[in-house]
Amino acid sequence: MNELIPLMVIVPMMAALLISAFSKFDKVIKVFAFVVALCLPIIPLLSNYGVHYFGGYAPIVDNITNILYHPAITYSFNFPQQIFIGMVGILTFLVVFIYLTKYTKVSGPYLFLLFMGTAAVTALILTDDIFHMFVFFEILALAQVGIVAASSIDYSYEMALKYMILGSIGSPIMLLGIGFLLAMTGTVNITDIVAIIRDGIISTSSPMFFLSLALIFFGWLYASGLPPFHTIKSGIYSKAEPHGAALLQSFTVISMISIVIIMFRIYSVLPIFEVLIVLFSVLAMILGVSLALTQTDFRRMIGFLAVGELGFIGLGIGLGTQYAITAGLFQALNEIVITALLFIGFGAIVNATNEVDTRKLGGLLASHPKVGIMLLIGGLAMAGVPPLSGFQSKLMLVQASLSCGYPELSILTIMVSIATFVVFVKTFYSMFLRPKPHDLEVVDKDVPRAMIFAMVVLLIIIVALGIFPDVVTNGISNFVGGMLH
Amino acid sequence: MRLYDQIFDVVKKFKELFSPGPVTNADVSGSLTAEIFLIVSLVIASLLLRHVSVLLAGLVTLILAIVLISNIPLIPKFKIEQDDSLNKMLFYAIMVLGLIVIFMYWGGRFV
Repeated sequence: MNELIPLMVIVPMMAALLISAFSKFDKVIKVFAFVVALCLPIIPLLSNYGVHYFGGYAPIVDNITNILYHPAITYSFNFPQQIFIGMVGILTFLVVFIYLTKYTKVSGPYLFLLFMGTAAVTALILTDDIFHMFVFFEILALAQVGIVAASSIDYSYEMALKYMILGSIGSPIMLLGIGFLLAMTGTVNITDIVAIIRDGIISTSSPMFFLSLALIFFGWLYASGLPPFHTIKSGIYSKAEPHGAALLQSFTVISMISIVIIMFRIYSVLPIFEVLIVLFSVLAMILGVSLALTQTDFRRMIGFLAVGELGFIGLGIGLGTQYAITAGLFQALNEIVITALLFIGFGAIVNATNEVDTRKLGGLLASHPKVGIMLLIGGLAMAGVPPLSGFQSKLMLVQASLSCGYPELSILTIMVSIATFVVFVKTFYSMFLRPKPHDLEVVDKDVPRAMIFAMVVLLIIIVALGIFPDVVTNGISNFVGGMLH
Repeated sequence: MRLYDQIFDVVKKFKELFSPGPVTNADVSGSLTAEIFLIVSLVIASLLLRHVSVLLAGLVTLILAIVLISNIPLIPKFKIEQDDSLNKMLFYAIMVLGLIVIFMYWGGRFV
């Protein structure tokens, strides 16, 4: 059923608008939001692979150049889109479920932002139109700002405003790059642009082509939170509600891979493209983990770790082989799940203790053993401990960099994994194992059941992907093979 | 002895870094790990330059190692440069944009 492809975007977007418009009817929007959130992971599972042309405008052949042109905005749906949209759908459902059970009176605008963010990120990964990509990139950035500003954490407004100001640099720069590309090729359809480049109709050694890469690349750095935007990205994670942060990081990861795949298709003819990706990925890995090691606020620590993990994804894409890109995309999927588990789990601790400073916490294993164990497993998965999912993707990345002739990158990957392990051991010891400080006034609230439920679901996915990685990697590998040839 | 004193000063600097508030063993050992991790990873990353020129990689690695080790502690400096100040974030964003554009526009075709 290819008709379901546009519905993956339309359903959350319409739900967002309706919830916002009828936010006075508390009970009705609660039920409506729950039902829509439940549908989100189901739609991609029911949909067939294929393409959807908006307005029904089928591709036309240019008789002179013999190139197939796509006049319509096109959505392309394949295995990676299915798996990533399905995963964001599951996360959106869990986050909405936690939110609905946490508050007796829900906020229509907040739910609007959650659903609008999901719609935007789904459109980003589906679209085959670079301008359409930019529009949803902007919507996503605004939804992210809103999710952070709407949280009840101190200074969240300030952090959201800073993110918006930095976005006011990143987004127009990206648009300028898209403008240069449009000026050279005369189209915004990515498949058409790739065909024009492959047929040699435009010169890939033109400075304008390089400049368009530079500008779009800078916009991508902003969307992904790679350096120099790693500080603000980790900052917004730490100032959002924990369930909001879990969703925000999935938005970041998906926008990162969506845009980088588009860039890869267009610019992989330039060797410098892969050099740039690897350079910034290595920087993100080094800076993210070293700053995570020095944090005392555990939300900020996870924020920096999440940024460091983005470097692994970029590394896979930057190496550019079928196996490496597969490893990068698999790592992206794992990061979405693992980081969400950590944000929700640490959020449960904030909920129970009203404290975020690891120096003031201790002895929590006695009062919250379930959360502690699940967080430990999540941390081990992020560090790449077998047999969890993070191990499989990181092992693939190490093998990929070795087979590409970059043993330095393999060593770096292993070192970053070990440093991540150190971060978790340190934090877990400080929060759960060491004696409880005398002045710690634990609010001693129970952890909400919805949070435990969400953590269990995510943990099952982590273990399942760790034991059966082929379920995902085979499909991704086939897609990547098709993209490369 | 000079290097030993320098390393000992690192711990004192870390105490300042975590103030106000108590400084625990875990925090200081975490920061020391970060310090060593930062130096080693940057040196290893610089080895990638061997794909451009082996001599260049050797020189850069050696110089980088000397500069980094003689400037410890690096983490407090890194942390100050990467705090939540909007001015610093904007400065680095614009600087990176400038570097990427200059590098690509004039140097992109030589890679």
